[in-house]
Amino acid sequence: MNELEVKEVQEEQPAELAEKDPFEIHLLEPERISFSRSSGGVFQAVIEGKAYDEIVLFRVFPFRYTTQFISVRNPKNEEIGIVRDISLLDRESRTEIEKELQLRYFLPIVTRIESVKQKADLWIWELGTNLGDTRIVMRNLHEFMQFPGNNRVILTDMNGKRCEIRDYEQLDSHSKRQLRDVM
Amino acid sequence: MEFTEKIPITIEAQLKEQPLFYAATDLMNDGQFGKQWLILTRTEVAIWAEDGNLTSSLPLSDITDARVAGGVGGGTLIADTKRGPVIVLRYTAALTSIFGHVAKLIGALAKGEELPTASEKDFPRLCPKCRTPLSHDSLACPVCKNNGKVLLRMLSYAKPYRKQMIAAAIMLILTTLIELIPPYLTKRLVDDVLTPKDMGSALLWIVVGLAATSVVLTGMQIVRGLIGVWIGSKLMGDLRRDVYQSLMRLSLSFFDRRQSSQFIGRVNSDSEAMRQFMTDGVIWVSGEFLRVVAIAIIMFSLDWKLTLLALLPTPLMIIMSSLLWPKMGRLWYQQWRSVFRLNSIVGDSLQGIRVVKAFGQESAETSRYSASNRDLIKSDIRVQGIWQGVFPIFSLIAGAGTLLIWFYGGRNVLNDGMSIGTLIAMITYLGMLLGPLQWVSQMLNWASHAISAADRVFEIMDTPADVPDTVNPANIGRVKGDVEFKQVTYGYEKHHPVLKGISLNVKAGEMIGLVGHSGAGKSTFINMICRFYDSDEGTITIDGNDIRTISQNDLRQQIGVVLQETFLFDGTIAENIAYSKPDATELDVMRAAKIANAHDFIVQLPDGYDTRVGERGHKLSGGERQRVAIARAIIHDPRILILDEATASVDTVTERLIQEAISRLVKGRTTFAIAHRLSTLRNADRLVVLDHGKIVEVGTHEELLQAEGAYFKLVEAQKELSQIKGVESA
Repeated sequence: MNELEVKEVQEEQPAELAEKDPFEIHLLEPERISFSRSSGGVFQAVIEGKAYDEIVLFRVFPFRYTTQFISVRNPKNEEIGIVRDISLLDRESRTEIEKELQLRYFLPIVTRIESVKQKADLWIWELGTNLGDTRIVMRNLHEFMQFPGNNRVILTDMNGKRCEIRDYEQLDSHSKRQLRDVM
Repeated sequence: MEFTEKIPITIEAQLKEQPLFYAATDLMNDGQFGKQWLILTRTEVAIWAEDGNLTSSLPLSDITDARVAGGVGGGTLIADTKRGPVIVLRYTAALTSIFGHVAKLIGALAKGEELPTASEKDFPRLCPKCRTPLSHDSLACPVCKNNGKVLLRMLSYAKPYRKQMIAAAIMLILTTLIELIPPYLTKRLVDDVLTPKDMGSALLWIVVGLAATSVVLTGMQIVRGLIGVWIGSKLMGDLRRDVYQSLMRLSLSFFDRRQSSQFIGRVNSDSEAMRQFMTDGVIWVSGEFLRVVAIAIIMFSLDWKLTLLALLPTPLMIIMSSLLWPKMGRLWYQQWRSVFRLNSIVGDSLQGIRVVKAFGQESAETSRYSASNRDLIKSDIRVQGIWQGVFPIFSLIAGAGTLLIWFYGGRNVLNDGMSIGTLIAMITYLGMLLGPLQWVSQMLNWASHAISAADRVFEIMDTPADVPDTVNPANIGRVKGDVEFKQVTYGYEKHHPVLKGISLNVKAGEMIGLVGHSGAGKSTFINMICRFYDSDEGTITIDGNDIRTISQNDLRQQIGVVLQETFLFDGTIAENIAYSKPDATELDVMRAAKIANAHDFIVQLPDGYDTRVGERGHKLSGGERQRVAIARAIIHDPRILILDEATASVDTVTERLIQEAISRLVKGRTTFAIAHRLSTLRNADRLVVLDHGKIVEVGTHEELLQAEGAYFKLVEAQKELSQIKGVESA
């Protein structure tokens, strides 16, 4: 009975749609995509034989998978497809996509916590990150610190700037001491 | 421009023409932190390094437009040129607004349009002294501000009770002094009566003196306690009132971002902590301070050498206390956060208990709770543990002083350098002196607890309303109901606009149906009229007055809403109907209910108009609640009416009743209606079709159908849907 129904539905659909279900997640085959950068520094791609002169990337699971499940979209925010794992791409594409992700998801990785001070009603973090030193200012801790699990901490600034502590167990002892007081 | 820095001289010296605009970014083009300057002139967009080297420049003649591409935590300024898009610079989220403005500037320059002027909102708000971000509405830098301010501000709540506080203080001084009498009497007893074994009348008198001081002391303590309780309860009431008032004053966007369960705890427990500090804390601290000073004076006059010796350990205690102070504050905050997390889990799962049960996730919720519970246990043990460890150590140090007195004082007595009575008095006084010193740590507890509570409470009070009321509101009286949107753009999160450049002119009495897919911006459109949020760009006028110049009270007087979720307050049906007009007569209430097709069903309820509704009361059906809400809007008699999905999820008979009620309600009022069922908007004078935050079509039902545009597609889609529904129900 069920089989019959399925058959009917398929027959009703036009031939074109039948082979490409619009609700299916379209995974891009690594061999059929290549990413590059224009002279103006804009991220571009050739995907399944079609050239796109501007591409926007989205991490589908920004916390859980930073290099997997990358949604590739055109500037109109239409999804072209999803890259399952960027490690399967060719070398140039991989470097470019990694760079683009790092730029689009501006999330410096904290290498050292210089100090965490509470001044008046603000918490001020002086941080060393892989992208240089910075300062993060929070209004309180319970709304601006996130713990996605696995010893990771996401710190959010009052202005929306974010930094990530990949694994607080891996920090040096000075940093850990600073962090322990506020966790 | 006071929030922007000046261009470094090294760059300024090399500029060939006067810059139109400049701004510093905090990222290098490779994404590293670093400072670069964007300098915009009439001919080019140039990027300079901080040390005065030109990094890149782009002639304006090449540029066709400019835009920002927002990433997460930062963004990119992109110029579209004839040779394709070019990345100008990158910045972190702190600078989003200023480069949004830069993009518009470059775009306008390139297209030869009128240049937009920067509003204050476009600049990052940083303290000019220490570069700390400032909150939206105040210029006071929280870092540069005085630390004792929180304390002072907290104490300012005690001001209205000055007289009572002074009375309590006088009692305090008296009790403190009286407390000092017994040890002196004891000394006299030992030296003058017991040692010489002189059985005169002295013994009786000294004992009577001791008894009298105890009686007086007890009486005064009782009176002082009563005054304390009285002041405390009053203070607590004031605090709670202020917190609640602040919560009511805050704009909707504040609540969008937070869990409401959070506030319930704040209003009660934080104000309790503050009260405890102010009444018990302050009185206790000043009393103990007084006592310490008085005892020190007496001890020194009895034997200053011995006193010095006995006080040797005190600096150690004070140092320990001051080390513990900041540590304890953080630990308390930590514990508070654990409690807060636990509470929000309870709040969450109980509010969604139907979903939890429907999906059979009770055990998952329980384990989620258990995990947080374990966290709380851990931090509880840590805080209390440190506490318990600290106390014995304090008494140990304090005990050392007593030992010293026993030893050296005892020797003095043996050498006849001191009387036994003096030794006993010294020991008693020292005990009384070290008592409060040990409790310095308890004071830390109170103070740090209270200050962090005060911090949180004042945070709510200080949060500026995003939708501030104007200082000099225009007096609008009763409006006609002309509403005009002029290029209105708004996003719940800036730079993610939900409404984009909406322009619409609505005449008084017109009924506008808002149509579009979910997420098209219909509800936001309505929120803008109510001024739950302020537009980022553009203005909304009512009868030609910008709604920002109208006081919110006046504005809401003119606007009536019947929302998707009809919320009825705890109270009777009559009270709910008369919510906006408490002085409505019984006849008014009944009339409104009649117009709303609610009168008949209300009368049939066993408790009639006195039926309790709301969380604890009688459960009305969805359609009944909606009709009560319509009656509420009718009695409000607004000039502008907002209907949001008023007929969703009810059966057809009820829908007809509601439809009738609504058609009576809208008569003569400017109406904005949202409905998923397009058929219910047939009566609308004009339909406005929204798509992705823009108006795509405007016209009557017939016109739009003929145009076969977006509306036509929506209607067709809905027809199909209702056919499917028909099959389902068949």
